[in-house]
Amino acid sequence: MNTEWSFMVYATFALGAAAVYFLLPHTGRSTKTAGHVLGVAALAATMVLCASKFLGTEGANIFFYLSAVVAVGSAVKVITHEKPVYSALYFVLTVLAITPLLILQEAEFLAVALVIIYAGAILVTYVFVIMLSQQGGQPMHDRQSREPFLAVFGGFVTMAAIAGQMAALPEEKGIVGDFAVAAATTAINDRGVDNTSLVGTAMMTEYVVAFEVAGVLLLIAMVGAIAMSKKRVPAETALTPMPVPGKVGREVEPF
Amino acid sequence: MNDIAPYIILSALLFAIGMVGFLSRRNLIVIFLSTEIMFQGVVLNLVAMGRMHGHVNGQIFALFLLSIAAVEAGLALGLVVLLYRRKGTLDAEHWSSMWG
Repeated sequence: MNTEWSFMVYATFALGAAAVYFLLPHTGRSTKTAGHVLGVAALAATMVLCASKFLGTEGANIFFYLSAVVAVGSAVKVITHEKPVYSALYFVLTVLAITPLLILQEAEFLAVALVIIYAGAILVTYVFVIMLSQQGGQPMHDRQSREPFLAVFGGFVTMAAIAGQMAALPEEKGIVGDFAVAAATTAINDRGVDNTSLVGTAMMTEYVVAFEVAGVLLLIAMVGAIAMSKKRVPAETALTPMPVPGKVGREVEPF
Repeated sequence: MNDIAPYIILSALLFAIGMVGFLSRRNLIVIFLSTEIMFQGVVLNLVAMGRMHGHVNGQIFALFLLSIAAVEAGLALGLVVLLYRRKGTLDAEHWSSMWG
């Protein structure tokens, strides 16, 4: 195992974590410029590291790198942007950047379904709710984050733990020992059937019970959403003294 | 030959970014957007793992995950609208007080 390379990977993660920390909304002086510089540096360092390690392997071609950079960059923008509408739009960009990766992994049906469901349906709901609850100006809670250092540190530790586990796997057993052992994969398309029909066949035979349960779940969610939207709640004025403990729940008339 | 390591690293990155957003943001809607980013990382991981083993179970799991995400988005946003109508703000800190 190449310890020097592992150290450089951790250093890159730390750089990215610092970038996210600086990009998160802060009160006081804006640290956005420093965050952007650090973020670009982290992405560039990752590219150089990956290019030195994975160059020539099929799983990591130019399309992968382009999509990965766009996905990570827009994901960081989602969690750091001060305006929720922009967060939602950057999330659309993340979904659209994930799609080519799924196509590279021979999951065409899932890729298209992801775009239609996420970018088409779920995000419209999000944007609708944001528009419904948009106050004038920028409220304080969008310009401030809660414990940004601890959150970024937690994310960094998670990332480092995953990478460390992957690097620690022995090469002959591990799927990704030392990050670079190419796993021999059997192409799904070897059987001469295209991917979508394989997914459909498995869905309708092997997983048909789960498929029906998912339908029931959607029905229940629809009933619940309609019930919630009809519910009347008493409007408390914001920032008033806190209500008496236990009072709020009892004041709400059941639907 | 297909190298799966970059895909796992990328999905772990997306998951970690979503986690940081979930922990640190105060706007309820952005908190739920962060969970959607975590979903994206999981979907990518499932598909890459399924491809590595040469079957479609990962993709089917990801499809079910997609329906769960739709349910979650619908119900969670309904709750957010209710909370907003009650207090007139999306700040999660206003709902942090919990008495026994």
